[in-house]
Amino acid sequence: MRNWKALLSAILLGVVAGLPLYGGAYLLSVANLLLIHMTLALSWSLLLRSGQLSLGISGFFGLGVYVAALSLVRVGLHPLVGILLGGVMSGVLALGVGAAVLHLRGMYFAIVTLALAEAFRVIIRNVPNLSGGPEGMVLPALIFDGDSFKTFWFALAVAISTLALLMVVSRSKVHIALTAIRNDETVAQSSGVNVYQYLLWIFALTSAIQGVAGGLYAHIYGFISPEGSFSLDLVLLPIIMAVVGGATTTWGPVIGAVLLGSVSELLKIKIPHGHLLIYGVIIVIVVLFFPKGVIGTLQEKIRRRL
Amino acid sequence: MKGMAGKNTLLAALAVAGAVLLACWKPYVLIEGVQRAGLYAAITLPMALLMGVLGIVNLAHGDFMMLGAYLAYGLSVYLGVDPLLSIFPAMAVFFLFAMIVYVGTFNHVLDAPELNQILLAFGLMIILTQGANLLWTSRFIKISLPYVSESVTMGSLTFGTYGFVYVAAALIILIGLRVFLKKTRMGQAALAVGQNRRGAKLVGINVDWTHLIIFSLSIAIIGAMGCVFITRHSISPLVGFPYTLRAFCLIAMAGIGNLTGIVWVSLLLGVAENMVLSFHGYAGWADLIYFILIIAVIMVKSRKRHRQ
Repeated sequence: MRNWKALLSAILLGVVAGLPLYGGAYLLSVANLLLIHMTLALSWSLLLRSGQLSLGISGFFGLGVYVAALSLVRVGLHPLVGILLGGVMSGVLALGVGAAVLHLRGMYFAIVTLALAEAFRVIIRNVPNLSGGPEGMVLPALIFDGDSFKTFWFALAVAISTLALLMVVSRSKVHIALTAIRNDETVAQSSGVNVYQYLLWIFALTSAIQGVAGGLYAHIYGFISPEGSFSLDLVLLPIIMAVVGGATTTWGPVIGAVLLGSVSELLKIKIPHGHLLIYGVIIVIVVLFFPKGVIGTLQEKIRRRL
Repeated sequence: MKGMAGKNTLLAALAVAGAVLLACWKPYVLIEGVQRAGLYAAITLPMALLMGVLGIVNLAHGDFMMLGAYLAYGLSVYLGVDPLLSIFPAMAVFFLFAMIVYVGTFNHVLDAPELNQILLAFGLMIILTQGANLLWTSRFIKISLPYVSESVTMGSLTFGTYGFVYVAAALIILIGLRVFLKKTRMGQAALAVGQNRRGAKLVGINVDWTHLIIFSLSIAIIGAMGCVFITRHSISPLVGFPYTLRAFCLIAMAGIGNLTGIVWVSLLLGVAENMVLSFHGYAGWADLIYFILIIAVIMVKSRKRHRQ
């Protein structure tokens, strides 16, 4: 059974990694975006395991975009260093913000993270000399000189690393602590879990991942702007991917990302101005009718039938 | 208690002294700050009512105002109704609309984890803004009304008087809500539900009905505010969101359930923002003030909680 599973994953990985060989340019660009969204969905769901809902994905993502892009344009750092730096900066910022606000949780946390993206947008608009202002800027070169094979493999590596991280966390003490915090903070605290410390570090870690994803995005697409980098798409799509798949499972966000990543691409073409509306509807439907995620609920139903 | 009263007197004295100083140094900041504060307070009060009674953060709050503004725009352009007269039909329309929304959505998550409530509210916010975007595009629209540009001259000062309509609206809403909560049966029931839902149920209050009415009332008020809003501002589908964030900031500052406090903190935010706006070249930073305030408030609150 075990060998069988390993073989299947190897084949699947091979098929996915070989995508540049048989997929066209369009398919690759869709896949890159999907992998970035998947990374965001995974990181968001990791934080959700602790019961903290972040609406600030686009904030940390956008910070990563700008740090990575500006470190190339203004300082001349290598893109990979810039991407890493974007992650580090997002993580450090999350530590600072988290240290200030994570003593009060729930809605306070959710809204501070939501406002964070707004705050970044204001800052970037107000330092045009550094950031390129509201019009944004075009990067002089793409990562790996635009080599689509390497770019795709790099995006894939980032997504798989995030997935691996979630798998490791799932089997560790951390997962138990996070679940305990989500279920009942008081009980968790009295069982010796340092709630504040756990939340702070998991927030910093997931934000750092979002920063890396942002850096990656900047260097793949080579264009940054306050509207594009902090766009609502970037908050909504990862959240939907995670909640549809089943938010606190490891594979849920992956499945959700594959499903919705392809659907969202179609939607964008069919209804260019209304695709966000459909995301909103999906969120509401999932919260009302499938609180365990669409896949989780279906599994439960099938299990009951059997 | 005595110390508390002393502290309040001191705060009031400081506020008056600050206002006098400001009036001498930058009178326009004070006047326009007060007008802006009126707008903030009028928007925040109904959201505070909802949060105090149902315990829900309505992230779509500002977007209901946006819808109200579009309604007033439509009535004005197609039927020639003055936006300020649209307040009354808007209240009725939004009360009914809110009832439908409540029964369809929030009613099902009141006992669910807070995460689900926030996520649902977020989804609703997206539906309203993006639905409006689809219907009316993201173009800014405006009604020009003759009475909006009225101004008075006092000594060397000339300023627009129409902005005080927001102050009037805020005071009407504040007084109205206080009377409603103190004097009517429904208001008293709402207070009881806000304090302790289960206890209220035990003494025979129809909790579900109270939730429905309070939710709809909150939305009716903010929808009507949309009619006032469009008389002075241009609107687009995204116009509501910044106000939702500011309203949350103000409620956090005043404390949930403290309606009068909201007026004071609105004054603080309104004047502070206009202060920043008055410095040439730094005006863009005014939008950051409420964010800094939220963070500061949360830090202070969590420290207080730690001491307990």
